[in-house]
Order: sequence, then structure tokens, then C-alpha cells
Amino acid sequence: MTRRFKATPYLFLLPAVALIGVFVVYPILAVFYYSFTDYDIVRPPVWVGLDNFRRLLGDGTFWLALTHSFVYLLVTPTIIALSICLAIVVNRKLRGIHIFRALYFVPAVSGSIAIGLSWRWLFDRNGFINGILQSLGVIDTPIQWLAEPGLVLPIAMLLTIWAGIGYYSVIFLAGLQNIPEELYDAARIDGASDLQKHWHVSLPGLRPQIVFVAVISSLAALKVFDEIYVLTSRSGGILDSGVTMVFYLWKQAFTLQHAGYAAAIAIVLLGITLAFSIVNVRLLERQEGDR
Amino acid sequence: MSDGGPAGKAVGAVGAVASAAVLEPVAGLTGARLRRRRRRRELASNAGWYVVLTVFAAITVFPFLWMLLTSLKGPADPIASVPPQLIPGHPTLANYQRVLDSLPILKFFQNSIVVSTAVTGLNVLVSAMAAYPLAKMRFRGREWIFYLLLATLIVPTQLTYIPSFILAVNVFHYYNTLPAVIFPSLASAFNIFLMRQAFRSVPNDLIDAARVDGAGEWRVWWQILLPIVRPSLAAVAIFTFVTSWNDFLWPSLMLHDRTQMTLPVGLAALQGFFSSDFRSIAAGVTMTVIPILLFFIVVQRYFVRGLAGAVKG
Repeated sequence: MTRRFKATPYLFLLPAVALIGVFVVYPILAVFYYSFTDYDIVRPPVWVGLDNFRRLLGDGTFWLALTHSFVYLLVTPTIIALSICLAIVVNRKLRGIHIFRALYFVPAVSGSIAIGLSWRWLFDRNGFINGILQSLGVIDTPIQWLAEPGLVLPIAMLLTIWAGIGYYSVIFLAGLQNIPEELYDAARIDGASDLQKHWHVSLPGLRPQIVFVAVISSLAALKVFDEIYVLTSRSGGILDSGVTMVFYLWKQAFTLQHAGYAAAIAIVLLGITLAFSIVNVRLLERQEGDR
Repeated sequence: MSDGGPAGKAVGAVGAVASAAVLEPVAGLTGARLRRRRRRRELASNAGWYVVLTVFAAITVFPFLWMLLTSLKGPADPIASVPPQLIPGHPTLANYQRVLDSLPILKFFQNSIVVSTAVTGLNVLVSAMAAYPLAKMRFRGREWIFYLLLATLIVPTQLTYIPSFILAVNVFHYYNTLPAVIFPSLASAFNIFLMRQAFRSVPNDLIDAARVDGAGEWRVWWQILLPIVRPSLAAVAIFTFVTSWNDFLWPSLMLHDRTQMTLPVGLAALQGFFSSDFRSIAAGVTMTVIPILLFFIVVQRYFVRGLAGAVKG
């Protein structure tokens, strides 16, 4: 149908391909190269072979960051479960329901730095959380929430979950509204309770959305940075207790000027992301096969 | 939400259920009474849901509300107290004035507007252009280009920051200027896919008819396709705008002078500048959240529709 136009399709594609080439494809190739070099951004890179990767194996902070990033993935199932619950709650024709739906969406548009700062102060030594707990008599002395090595990561995860629920529940809500009403009617005739109806009708019906949210939110969890940056005031937390893969990459590359070493971290991150994506694609294919 | 909060509603629910049960056996009700009864029963069964909705809304909104209330606190109002003081005793706008005097918030705001508008306009244009041949033309290398773009979706953006940083300093020489934040965000494989999806839903007959009438491909794209997919364009544009507006890590690497910072970068600087002056930080946060919230309220319909549509795409 388009024999007449030889150059046109390429002209349409040119700006996008050029931009993605310069800002995505080239950097990936370059980061591979840097990962085999000793590079401080100022002086030219020096080839060192596998030295960076060997150093990574013995780097305790790297393993800690890797562990933290995997622990962070726990936000994904939590977000999915809570967002589905919220979607079920808001999926009814109530007066003012639109206002509630909009309210739940507020954290998703407010920006990670703004909400990170507000949480940073909620959990401050002199913050609201301590004030409430003290006045209720739960604790006697204020807790140093964000200076407690075991608490930084859980608080950051809680923040991610809190900010994500409203956003993801919109996706599930759209999915719920696509489920034919007859399925629920049939379930009711079979004597299913409300809970059973959602378990046997809503959950299977939401499968495409669950896979989508699982992919999106787990990739986001692997890349978490802003929350950690703000909650720990750029430090990564006491004893690196909040350091994630991307935070460690950032610290090595842009505060310590170890660009070569950071590139090696980036390659590991890429490997993990690829592995994840392959698993996800498999899941998607299985889903297509079910239909 | 004006009555006595969750507890009051729960009590109301119990009362309504009880009265509905009492009314049940009464025979010969008039239409109006029937309707009233139905409405009351509806309210009764919904009251529980309103409790759940309100509790959830409170959890969602509270951190923002706390920021707003704190930002209005005067010097005599305690920041840390047991129990925490919610409503400022001596409300003042002085904290806002102090933030505006010490940091160029309005300049941050202006920079954010420039960056997000440029990124949105150009990104949508570039993506919509690339999506047309991928959706509606046959040419050599189409599959190849398509899968290359698909592959870039998987790559975490942070991976590209080291080489992009070096490019910015050594090749493009735009370090510490707004173009450094704009250019790397101009093409997104995700937007290309969403636009491709939208174009595919346009019937081929329409395009062929225009071609028969002598319209070139550029005119087909600009005058026929783009107007038809306007809702998709709007959704993609809003997404791109909000994402760009809130983007932090890359801008924080590129923008160091106060006059060049975008809002998130400036906000992070504010945390360093006012370190433990909670009132000022709260004022800064409130000032940056309000504009994007207003924007969200205006475009909310498209935003939600776009998000819902993205899953099918």
C-alpha cells in the first residue's frame, strides 16, 4: 500500500530513533565499556578487565544493596493486594465517590521529593508519629525512626506502598469495570458470598492488570532512589541501612567519582532487570495461552 | 464529610439498619414512603463503605495536611509537643515569606514549567511521528526498529546516567542548563507504543481515501490521524508532563546553580538549606505541591482514562 513512499517512513522515525540512539543505546554500550575500566570521569578510562566485577564480589555494601533491593520487591505483592481491595471498595456507585478516587490519587502526582520530605518529618525524632505514640503512652522516649538501621528500609517501603496504592487501584478499577456483570450474577445464584464472588470472579478477571502492575511496580522497586535519598538526607542511612542498588550506583558514580566501578553495578542491575523481564514475558505468554 | 467522622457514621449506620428492620412489616406504604425507606436502607448499607473510604482518605491526605498546618505555625506554636499540636495557635504566612526570601522558588517554578512544557510538547510530537509508520506503513526494517525500541523499555534509565553525564559535559556542553534536562527526555519508547496503539485503531480506509485524494503522508498524519487520536494524545501528554515535573535524579545531577534548578531539585536543596527549620520546609513543600495538584484536578478525567487504557495497550 505504500510503494510510492520510499524515504517517508524513515523520516517519520528519524527524530525518535536518533534521540533513543544517543540517550539510550549509546549509553548502554558505553556503560558496558566503562565497567571494564578504571574511570573517574575526569581522566580517560583505563582498561582493567574484570577487576571491577571481582571487587564487587568482595564488597559488603554491594551485597547489602542487592539484598535491600530484593527486600524492596516485597512492596509489589503488598501494593497489588491493597490496590485490589481499594479498587473493589471504590467500584460502587456512591455519592461523592469521584472525590474519594481523586483524593487517593494525590500522592501519585505530588512528586517523590515532596512526599518524601513530608514523611521525613512525620518520622523525625520530634515528628508527629513520636508525638502521637508518646501521648498515647505507647512509648516513653521518642524513637529515632530514621536513625535506626532496621527501620529505614521498612519506612521507605511503607512510603512506596502508601504512594502507590491510589495509582495502581485506578488500573484495577478499570479492570473490574470490564468484568461482565453476568459473572457476578451467576456467582450470586450459585450462593457465593461477597468474598467468594471477588475471589472467584474478580481475581481471575483482573489477571491482565495484576501482571501489568506486577511488572511495573517490581521494576520501580528495583530502581528505588528518591525515597531513600530524602528520608536519609542523602546519606543512605546509618551503616548503609537504606542503600539500594540505584542508590549505591549513584553514590559510587556521582559522589565518589568511581564511574568505572559504578558502571559494573549498572551492568549487574541490567542483568537483574533482564532476568525479571524474561520471567514477566513468560507470565504474559502463559496468560495469552489461557485465552 | 461534615458530620462526626467515622465513629459517628458507624453509629448512624446501626441506627438506620435498626429503623429499616422496624419498618419492614408495615404494610400499605405510599410511594413516597417507599422511596424514602429505600433511600434510608441504601444509606445504611453504604455507611460502612463511607467509613472505609474516609479512613483511607485520611491516611492518604494526612501527610499533606500536616505539612500545610505546620507551614502556617507561628514561632510560638510548638513543632514537637506531646500530644502534637494540629491547628496552629498563631497562624502566619511568615514561613512562606522566609522561603521566598531565601530561595528562588518562583525561578524553580518557572524552570519546571519550561522543562515540562518543552519535554511534553516535543516528546509527544516525536513519539506520534515515530508511531505512524510503525502502525500504518510497510517498509524494510520495520520489525527490526520495532523490537529495538521494545528492548529499550526494559533498560532502567539510571543505567544511562554515567555516559549521559559525560556526554552532557564533554560533547553537548549543556551541563547546568535546562536543555541538559530536556533533551534526554525527548523520546520515550513507551509513548511511541501508546501512540502506535492509538493509530492502529484508525481504519485503513480513512487513510487510503485521503491518499487517493492526493494527500501526502505528512498531511495524512497531521490532518487525519492526529485529530482522531486526540484523547490518546491528551493522556500521553499529561503523563509525560507529570513525570517530567516530578523527575528528580537526572535533574539533580545536571542542575547545580540555584537559578537553573527545577522544583524537585530546589526542594531537595531546601531540605539542606533549612536543615531543621520544619516550618519553612513545610512551607516549601506546600508551595510545590499545590500547583501540580491544581493541574491534576483540571486534567483528572484524561489522566485516569489514560492510565486505565495503558494496560490494554
